[in-house]
Amino acid sequence: MDSPLDEPEGNWWDEAVNRRETLWIALSAGWALSLFGWMIGWTEFGDQNNVGQTYSITPDEFQTKVADFKDRAEDTERGLVPADEDVYVGALQWGWDGLPVVLEAGETYRFHLGSYDVQHGFSVRNEENLSQQMSLQILPDYEWVVEMEFDEPSTYHVVCNEFCGNGHRSMHSTIHVEG
Amino acid sequence: MFGRSTYDYDDDGFRRCSVTGLDIHRSAEDMVKLYGLTAILALAVGGVFAVFVALTRWEVVGLLSPGDFYTYLSIHAWNLLIFWMVFMEIAILYVGGPFVLGRKLALPSLAKAGYVAMLAGAVTVNAAIWLTSYPNNAPLLTSYVPLESSWQFYLGALVFVLGAIVAALPFFATMWREKRENPNATLPLVAFGAFATSIIAFEALVGGVLTYGPALLWRLEILATLDSAFYRQMYWIIGHGSQQINLLAMITVWYFITHVVGGAEVASQKVSRTAFVLYIFFINMGAAHHLMSDPVVSTGWRMWNTSYAAYGAVLASMIHAFAIPAGLEAGRRAKGKGGGLFGWLWSGPWDDPGFSATILSIVLFGFLGGITGVMMGQMQLNMTWHNTLAVPGHFHATVATGTTLAFMGLGYYVLRLVFGREWSLGPIAKIQPFLYGGAMGVTVVMMMYAGVLFGVPRRHPTVMDIPGTEFSFEAAAPFFAIFGVGALVSIVGGALFVVVALATLFTGDEFEGGPVGDLSRTVADGGGSDHEPVHEQSMRGTFVLTLVFFATFVVLTALNWYLLSNIWGIGP
Repeated sequence: MDSPLDEPEGNWWDEAVNRRETLWIALSAGWALSLFGWMIGWTEFGDQNNVGQTYSITPDEFQTKVADFKDRAEDTERGLVPADEDVYVGALQWGWDGLPVVLEAGETYRFHLGSYDVQHGFSVRNEENLSQQMSLQILPDYEWVVEMEFDEPSTYHVVCNEFCGNGHRSMHSTIHVEG
Repeated sequence: MFGRSTYDYDDDGFRRCSVTGLDIHRSAEDMVKLYGLTAILALAVGGVFAVFVALTRWEVVGLLSPGDFYTYLSIHAWNLLIFWMVFMEIAILYVGGPFVLGRKLALPSLAKAGYVAMLAGAVTVNAAIWLTSYPNNAPLLTSYVPLESSWQFYLGALVFVLGAIVAALPFFATMWREKRENPNATLPLVAFGAFATSIIAFEALVGGVLTYGPALLWRLEILATLDSAFYRQMYWIIGHGSQQINLLAMITVWYFITHVVGGAEVASQKVSRTAFVLYIFFINMGAAHHLMSDPVVSTGWRMWNTSYAAYGAVLASMIHAFAIPAGLEAGRRAKGKGGGLFGWLWSGPWDDPGFSATILSIVLFGFLGGITGVMMGQMQLNMTWHNTLAVPGHFHATVATGTTLAFMGLGYYVLRLVFGREWSLGPIAKIQPFLYGGAMGVTVVMMMYAGVLFGVPRRHPTVMDIPGTEFSFEAAAPFFAIFGVGALVSIVGGALFVVVALATLFTGDEFEGGPVGDLSRTVADGGGSDHEPVHEQSMRGTFVLTLVFFATFVVLTALNWYLLSNIWGIGP
């Protein structure tokens, strides 16, 4: 008998392993390799990759960049229309500087994500279909540049989903995508 | 200790357990009682605060104001994710080492000193959170810098972590002495599992020192700045590492209880031990999956840690997922306890809460906690899970249905085999694991739906009413209704465990010894080795069950990638 409370008897390393257990281990290892391969493959063939360059930057410098972005953008009733493909989002306690913006469907924009104070969460969803949603972490002292291309015209709601103090729940803005 | 035990020790301080056959020394047993009961106290405190958290997130009730919510959530998290778990894990180390090896606890004074430090740290953390006032913020579990919490909080956390390191030393010393005296002996599997647990615990706790030490210096303004990305990486060494301690301790408990109560044997010593070694190498690196949707860390770094490293640990978990039920199947078949495909399982002692809690823990952990953990650990899928309510859904599946249920199962046997008392309120004890596990299972599924399908954020008191906008997560309201009811029922289920434990301690009859479960102990402990070797027993029932698990795993993974593929284009 093989009790987990006793020293195993004899040469336990060379004991045979049940055929089904061996099969299960092979299946599990194959699955792990498949998941790995799929993840690598998606960076080549998939359209959703949370990948982009990070730059060190002080909150003040980043705030200057966001202000410059706002100056260059066209101010409309629904939000800022960026002058070019760069969109700057400055998260702060408790709001989104640089948002709301009005973007064009099918265009690729470079989102520059940064914070003026503490950590925040850039959580975006399509108002027409809430399960189209994703989140990216925002850290102070870093500017993260992530490309985005919205193909469906709609209103996308931005909330903060990293706890950032008592006003956390009030952080909301929008990205309007027009066809 | 406590005068609540019915057992007597011989002149050397040992007694022999009539059920497990283990020689138990008083020095270890006293500490197991002390740490175990403190853990249950933390469970009770965390459970009380769970009521407030659940009734606030269920916004039909909306119990707390937003400011209070963060304070209550912090106390809930620290008591259940850290204090209940780590106090219990120290007790498990003392069971897995001295109890199983039949030794005294080495360096008992360090066990006491560690306890005092851990208790002082835990009380300080709770008090600091409760007394949080401007400009400080409730720390929640993560206390991400540069959002400031009170310096007393960081100090309490640091003292607790240092205390846990000190408390682990007597276990290491016991193992050291065992190996010095018996250099050629192989550790029993449960002791081996406890040893693997202790190594992972040590790594995690060192991470804790690297987290809370600098954070305390920064909060005291001795350090001018503390990099948020550095903090996140150090923090998750303990933040997830502490939960890996839970995982290994829980798996060790699974091997222990399925054997003691269900008559399980070890399907393969080689395979199960290899799986523990895989954990030692890989599981702490797997904690990097918290940084999948972060800036700063490179794509290569993220891929490495969630593929090569995490899958080494995933493979280990999948091995245990087969080995433990297979051991139960083989052991029970050998004892004539079940024919057919699943007879060994249906015939189990389901009215024994130690058994039912353990089996439910295995099933719920695997299907709800394990699968979701692997999915959100994939770099791209992480975007759809990160910081949504699905994340607490995942870790309630692992910690609340998995580890907590397993520790409750162990707790029932601590009452019997350590305190020597038969369970009071027997009928309640019988249904408690089903009530708690079933309701918590429903609750966590609702949290995951709300998180992934609706993007409902975690750590948010009013998703149905966001100030300054018409937008809300109203569409998820039906899921929150089921969540609210499920959460309340599971809290009642958890409270019943505490009630049974206290009633047993104070009014329980003397436990008369075996049989436990549905076994005569002479058979379970290997009285006869007249049957064929374990590996020649049929494991076909387990194979079918694990194939169902595998199919669920594949389908859920495919569905999640499908959801991801529907999102707008992100990244290069």
